Amino acid sequence: MNKLFNLFRSKVYFDQYLFISITLLSIMGLLFLYSASQGNMETTIKQSLFVLFGLILMFLLSQIDPDFYKNNSLIFLIFSIVLILITMIFGKEVNGAKRWLDLGFFTLQSSEIIKIALPVFLAAYLYDKPLPISLFNTIVSMIVIFIIVNLVRIQPDLGTSLVIFIAGLYVLFLAGLSWRFIGISFGIFILSLPFIWNNFLEPFQRQRILTLLDPNADPFGSGWNITQSKIAIGSGGIKGKGYGAGSQAHLDFLPETETDFIFSVIAEEFGFIGACILLSTFFFVMLRCFYLAINARDRFCRLTIGGLSLLFISTIFINLAMVVGIIPVVGMPLPFISKGGSSLLSFYIAFGIIISMATHKKLMQK
Amino acid sequence: MIDLNETIKEKKNFFNRLVFVYLFFGMLFLFFLYRTFSLQVSSFTDYEIASLENKTREILIQPIRGIIYDRNGKIIVNNQPNYNLILKPSQIDNIDEHINMIVNFIELSEEDIAYIKENFKRKARLNRELVLKKNLSMEEIAKFESRRYKFPATFIDERYSRENIYSEIFSHAVGYVGSIGDDYLEEILTDQNLSLKETIFKYSNGYIVGKTGLENIYDKKLRGNFGKKIYEVDASGKLLNELQEIPAKNGEDLYTSLDIESQKVAFEQLNNRRGAVVAVEIESGAIVTYVSSPSFPINKITNGMSSADFNQLLNDQDKPFFDRAGQGRYSPASTIKPAIGLYGLENQIIDWEYSIDDPGFFVLPEDGRIYRGWKKGGHGNITLMDAIIESSNTFFFSLAYNSEIDKLVEHLSNFGFGRNICIDCFIPDDGLLPNPEWKMNTLNFGWFKGDTVNMGVGQGYLSATPIQLAYYSAFLAKKGTLNKFSFIQNDNTNKQDTFISNNLKDEDWQNIHKSMIGVIENPKGTAGRLRSLKNYAVAAKSGTVELVSTETKEDYKIIREVEGQRDHAIIVAFAPMPNPKYAVSVVIENGESGGAVAGPVAINVLNSLINNE
Repeated sequence: MNKLFNLFRSKVYFDQYLFISITLLSIMGLLFLYSASQGNMETTIKQSLFVLFGLILMFLLSQIDPDFYKNNSLIFLIFSIVLILITMIFGKEVNGAKRWLDLGFFTLQSSEIIKIALPVFLAAYLYDKPLPISLFNTIVSMIVIFIIVNLVRIQPDLGTSLVIFIAGLYVLFLAGLSWRFIGISFGIFILSLPFIWNNFLEPFQRQRILTLLDPNADPFGSGWNITQSKIAIGSGGIKGKGYGAGSQAHLDFLPETETDFIFSVIAEEFGFIGACILLSTFFFVMLRCFYLAINARDRFCRLTIGGLSLLFISTIFINLAMVVGIIPVVGMPLPFISKGGSSLLSFYIAFGIIISMATHKKLMQK
Repeated sequence: MIDLNETIKEKKNFFNRLVFVYLFFGMLFLFFLYRTFSLQVSSFTDYEIASLENKTREILIQPIRGIIYDRNGKIIVNNQPNYNLILKPSQIDNIDEHINMIVNFIELSEEDIAYIKENFKRKARLNRELVLKKNLSMEEIAKFESRRYKFPATFIDERYSRENIYSEIFSHAVGYVGSIGDDYLEEILTDQNLSLKETIFKYSNGYIVGKTGLENIYDKKLRGNFGKKIYEVDASGKLLNELQEIPAKNGEDLYTSLDIESQKVAFEQLNNRRGAVVAVEIESGAIVTYVSSPSFPINKITNGMSSADFNQLLNDQDKPFFDRAGQGRYSPASTIKPAIGLYGLENQIIDWEYSIDDPGFFVLPEDGRIYRGWKKGGHGNITLMDAIIESSNTFFFSLAYNSEIDKLVEHLSNFGFGRNICIDCFIPDDGLLPNPEWKMNTLNFGWFKGDTVNMGVGQGYLSATPIQLAYYSAFLAKKGTLNKFSFIQNDNTNKQDTFISNNLKDEDWQNIHKSMIGVIENPKGTAGRLRSLKNYAVAAKSGTVELVSTETKEDYKIIREVEGQRDHAIIVAFAPMPNPKYAVSVVIENGESGGAVAGPVAINVLNSLINNE
C-alpha cells in the first residue's frame, strides 16, 4: 500500500494538504450553497459540476512544469486582454455592466482570468531582472497593471479591478519594491482621494461608502444589506440556527445570499463554531501557501505563489470585511464557497499553478 | 559564489516581505475572529431579538369590553355584535370576477368597490385580510351563508360595537368610547408587555377605549387584555404562518350603583332645561342618580355621526357635552344655611334659644353697607330653626359676621366644599371655597368682612358642583360622617369623611333635620308646595342663586327679561325622615325658584328611589 502511494507520488505532482483542504472547502461550499439558494437543486448541481471540473483542472494544471507558465505568461496575458476586449464588444449586459461573455455552455467573467494571468506575467517578467526591482522595471510593471486594472474598472467591476491591482502590487512588493517608492505612492494616493471620489466613482459606489460610515442613516435603503447581514451573523450565536433554518436567509431579509453574503448565511445557520471552522480552513490554506512560497524552487515560483496566494487571501478578507460591515459593499465572492463558475475556476487554476510550482523541484535552485 | 550570495540575500528579502504581508493578514484573521465573536457571542441577544423582530409580526386581538349594569342588574351598556364580510385576497385570482359574483346578492357601494380594488393587490401580496363590507344586515348574512360553499376565500366575521341601551340618559355618567390614539395604545400595550412597534392591525372597526365618564375611569377593567397572533413574515411583510396565539382576555363587567328608574325620572323632570340632578345612597355613598341636562345621543358619538350634527351639538348654546353634575359651578345660596347654623352651634356663638330681630336687612357696622333679605319687612324675632325654615338672610348675615373666616372655611370644607369628594367621577371640579389668601392671589384684593357676610348666605365667591351639593346634603343627613362618593356598588375602598366636632350633639343634628323638614312642612317654610308631592317626610333646603344683584322686586322684573340673568334654582334634600336613605341635589339654571322649580324635581327623584324599593 505504502509502495503504491510512493509510486503515485513519484509519478504525479500533488500536494495533499492543499488538495484536501481545497476539496473540503469546495464540499462545504456546495453544502452552504444548497441552503443559501433556498434548496435550489439546479444551482447546486451546476455548482457541483464546476467544482468537479475545477478539481480536475487543478490537478491537471499542477502536472505541468512551471517553466511552461513562465515561458508562455505573455501569451496568457495577451489572451486574457483579448478576452476582456471581446467582452466589451460582445459581452452580455447585466444591470448596466458588461462583464460576462456567453460561451454557450457557460458565461465567462473575463476579469476572473486576467486576475490570474497578471501576477503570473509579472513574476515571469521579473524572473531575470535584477532584484530588488529597479525603478524602470517598476514603472513598466505599473503601466501594465494600470492598463489592465482600468480595462476591468470600466466594465464596470470595481471590486475585481481592485483585487487585480492589489495582486499586481503584491508581486512588485515581494520583488523588493523600494519602501521609498511605496511611501511616495501612498502619499500621492491619499492626496488624490478627493479627485478619485469625484471622477472615478459612480454615484452608487459613493453612496455605498457613505452608507458604511453611517449604516443607520438609512436603515431601509442603502444600509439595509449591511444591517441585515449583521443581524444574520449576530443571531447565529455560538451554535447557529441549524442547517436550512436561517430565518434571515430564508425569509429574504438577506440580499445576495448565494454570492456576496454567503458568509452571513453560514454564520447564521452554523454559528460561531461554523464560522471558525470555515475561517480556520482558509487560514490553513494560507499557511500552507506561505510554506510553499518560502520553499519554492526559483524566483518565478516564489513570486507567483506569493502573488496568487495573497490574491486568494485578499479576496477572502474583502468579502468578509464587506459582510460584517467594515468596508463598502463591492461585490466580491468568497473563494470556493460563493456561487459563480468563473470565480470558482479561477481559483482552481491559481491553486493548480501553485501546486505545480511547489511540487516540481529542480536539483539546482536558483 | 556571488550568485549564490545574491540568491540567499534575495530569498531572505523575499522571506521578510512575505512575513510582513502574512503578519498583516494574520492580524486581520484574528480581527475577524474577534469581530465574528463580538457579533455572535457578545451581542448575540441584541441580534437574536432583531432577527426575531424581523421575522415576526403581531396582530392585535381586541378583547370584548365589559358590560355595564345598573344597581338592579339591568344592562346600561352592552356590546352589539355586527358582522363584516371579509376576503382573503391571497386566495383569489380575479378580484373583478369575485366582486361581480358577490354583487349579485350583497350590495356594494362604488366607494366600497373602489376601496377593495385599490387595496386588493397589496393585501394579497402581504397575505392580509380585506374587508368587503361592514355591518351586514341579517338578510345579507343569510344570503351569504346559503352561498358560502361558492366562496372559500370569503367569510363573515363578528365584531362588537358599543351600545348604550339608553341613548341620552347616561351620557355624562357612563360616558362614551372612541377609537384609541396611538400614544394611548402604546401605553396600554406597554402595560401588557406588548410593544406597538412590532404590532400591526389586520383589520378592525378600530380599537376602542373609554373617553369619558365611567367608560374612561374604569377603562382598564372594562377593556380587558389585548391578545395577539404572532405570524412569521418574510422580508416583504407577507404573513407566512401563524406561530402563536395569545388569546385576548375579555374585560370585566362593571356593576354600578346607578339606578335606571331614578335616572329616567331625573332626565324627564329636567326636561332639557339646563341643570343637573345628583342622588346618592347615604349609607354607602353610592351615586344612584347622575344626570346633566341637556344631554346628547351617546351611541351616535360612539359609532359615528355626521360632522354637521356633531358641530351642531358642539356649538349648541346649552352646551350639551358639559357635565353640569360634576363640573358645573353654582353658588349654594340659601342651601348653605344649615351648615352656617352648625358653625354657630359648634363655635358656641349661638344656641337653639338664641334669637335676633330680623328687620329684613343687615347693616355692616364697618361701612354701613346694607345686605338685604328676600322678604320685605323681615321675619321678626327668629331663632336658628325659624331662620332655616323661613330662610332668613339677616340671621345668617349676622352669624357670619360674628365668625372667623379661616374657621368658617375649615368648617365648610368638612361638608365637601372646595374639594373632590368623589372617587370615580370623570374630571370632577372642586368648586370654590374662597379664603383671604385665595382672594389676594387671584383677585389681588384683600378680604372684606362683607365677603364673610356674603358667605353666610352662600353667595359671593363660594361655589359648588351639584355632586358636592349632594355630598353636603348627605353629610347633613348622616350627621357628620360619610363615605366618599362612588359609582360602584359595595366598594369597600370608600374612604370615610368624619366631622370631628367639639360641641355638636346628636340633638343639634336632629334639630337641623327638624328645621329642614320644616322647610317643607312648616306653614312658613319656603318649599311648602312640595308637601303634597310625597307621602313621607323630606328634609330640604332650597336656594335661589342671584346672578345679578337687585334691590327690589321691580328691578328683578327688568333683569329677568333676559333668561340668562334669571336666578338659578337650587335645592338639597334627603328622605325619608327620620331615617334618611337618599340625599339629592338639584340645580336648574335660571330656574328662578329653588323651592318651586328645583324642588319638584328633587321630590320626584326621591319618590322614584323610595317608592320603588
